[in-house]
Amino acid sequence: MVARWQAELGMAAFLAVIGVITITGALEYGVGWSPSGPEPGAFPFYMGIIVLVASLANGLRAALPLLRPGLWAERPFLKPEQLRLVLGFTLPIFGLVVASLMLGLYVGMALYLFGTLVFQNRYPVLKASLIAGAAPVFAYFLIERTFRVAMLKGPLEAWLGL
Amino acid sequence: MDGFSGLLHGFGVALTWYHVTLMVVGVLLGILVGVLPGLGAPNGVSLLLPLTFTMDPVSAIILLTSMYWGALFGGSTTSILFNIPGEPSSVATTFDGYPMAQNGRATEALSFAFLSAGFGAIVGVLLITALSGWVTQFALKFSSPEFFGVYFLAFASFVGLSGAPPLKAAVSIALGFSLAAVGMDSVSGSLRLTFGFDVLLAGISFLVAVIGLFGIGELILTIEDGLKLDGIRAKITPRDVLRTAAQMPKHWATLLRSSIVGCWMGITPGGPTAASFMSYGLAKRFSAYRANFGKGEPDGVIAPETADHSAGTSAMLPMMALGLPGSATAAVMLGGLMIWGLNPGPMLFVERPDFVWGLIASMYLGNVVAVVLVLATVPLFASILRIPFAIIGPLIVVVCFIGAYTIAGRPFDLWLALAFGALGYAFKKLDYPIAPLILAMVIGDKAEDAFRQSMIMSKGSLTIFWSNPLVTSLMLLGLVLLFWPLIGAMIQRLRSARA
Repeated sequence: MVARWQAELGMAAFLAVIGVITITGALEYGVGWSPSGPEPGAFPFYMGIIVLVASLANGLRAALPLLRPGLWAERPFLKPEQLRLVLGFTLPIFGLVVASLMLGLYVGMALYLFGTLVFQNRYPVLKASLIAGAAPVFAYFLIERTFRVAMLKGPLEAWLGL
Repeated sequence: MDGFSGLLHGFGVALTWYHVTLMVVGVLLGILVGVLPGLGAPNGVSLLLPLTFTMDPVSAIILLTSMYWGALFGGSTTSILFNIPGEPSSVATTFDGYPMAQNGRATEALSFAFLSAGFGAIVGVLLITALSGWVTQFALKFSSPEFFGVYFLAFASFVGLSGAPPLKAAVSIALGFSLAAVGMDSVSGSLRLTFGFDVLLAGISFLVAVIGLFGIGELILTIEDGLKLDGIRAKITPRDVLRTAAQMPKHWATLLRSSIVGCWMGITPGGPTAASFMSYGLAKRFSAYRANFGKGEPDGVIAPETADHSAGTSAMLPMMALGLPGSATAAVMLGGLMIWGLNPGPMLFVERPDFVWGLIASMYLGNVVAVVLVLATVPLFASILRIPFAIIGPLIVVVCFIGAYTIAGRPFDLWLALAFGALGYAFKKLDYPIAPLILAMVIGDKAEDAFRQSMIMSKGSLTIFWSNPLVTSLMLLGLVLLFWPLIGAMIQRLRSARA
């Protein structure tokens, strides 16, 4: 189980790192005064400072219960069964992104829809194929034919000459 | 052009077959995204926005705003029938809407919700019609320090008043501004915060952020809750609607109070969500049937719905007149305005009266269209929610990623959408507010420009923010709001010390 204070602390640490990255990135371009006004890094620099300082404060607040055990320690952030649900949903999305970058969005979405329906939700292969096949065709006619916006394509579309 | 003559001109623009068709399409799409979990107004509008880049701006804004109205209505439908708020701003509607539906009064609850929402929306538009000329005149006096003051005030009110932990709101805002700074700086040409990565040169699109934070993040939350849809069936007949409409005048006090709360929260960037909760709370406090709240009291539906919609519509006023959006959805539309080549702010009223008044007139028409359409289509859209989530969920995911790609045609945006999705999920769970992050991303450049210009005007002295009564009062009010959590705590302590 992930406890609430652990998640709070993790998020605060992550954001503090983002703050530091912003500050170092801003320092590259100068954060002081130039003849033409504030240097380009000034504004992001101060924003980075706010992110860093506020995150440190949030982190401190999250860590307080460590000094007084039993205060918040029991409050859960994510129970094991929730973690399973969340991962079961997000890992296929990760697969969708990887597949889409390699094979294009049409093929990527078809594979993703087929995969989630058949392997996660035990849909019959025929029904899943119908849904997974219809979605890209519908998207093609809506996005590329009606609105004339180009989609991310892969080798299959090149072979089909689309 | 102001007030009445402007509005007449606007109706001339909005009342064409093409535009009315766009309203109908927009409202229907809006109800759809409002009903579907994980797709709400902000990311519905974000998904549609790239498809409007080639349209005329007036037509595009009519389509997008109509979608917004539709989404607000759709969100209420699922709140009442399924106890699932389709929109964050319709959470308060579940408190009494769902119990009413459980008690067999679903039709009544829906009619109350839609009619009071329509009422709230019309009050919001009336306010815009009445005030826009005045606000524009006022805003034309603004120069850079005053604009910075307005932005400061807006973000300070998020920290002080939004109800989210103040330090977390501050992180959200500053993170949004940092993300807005990524990429080529329009003033100096420097490639800020890119760290040598070519994919970051063009910056991080706020639309990708909205799709990830609101769309994918929301879906993950839905999954985690172990979604079970347990809807109540409802069919609305014209007679039921009329019977409910006849009861509306009885609730005049709630309607009026909620409209005022909504307009106030819409114009100051409190947003529809805060407005609906505040309005619900007030209705409960003033009601003679306080004990019935939470068990299916009509006032408990009317209050949040009226406030939600009046906040949603009145948020358009600061968006157009000051370039300051009052809600996340308004922020997305503001970004759209800039992409279409318009310059939001007081000059918009001078340069493009056809756009401004066309939009205002379309808000009257669009909301009437929305009330009629939503009443007619409730059974249809409720049946969409009976499609298993196993199908709907992955389809929404696919729509989100298609939307993320169509914004700029950049494969990298798919990764960004996924990353923002994870961030949105964590932010929601840990009470980091998301709307101010989006607002900061959208107006980041404008706020920074206002700051830089002010500094150049004053040769680097911060005293320019205290240089005239207008900017001084803006900054003072901003500081009070910023430190309101501390000030409030101090007042409490003084009171309890005296007691």
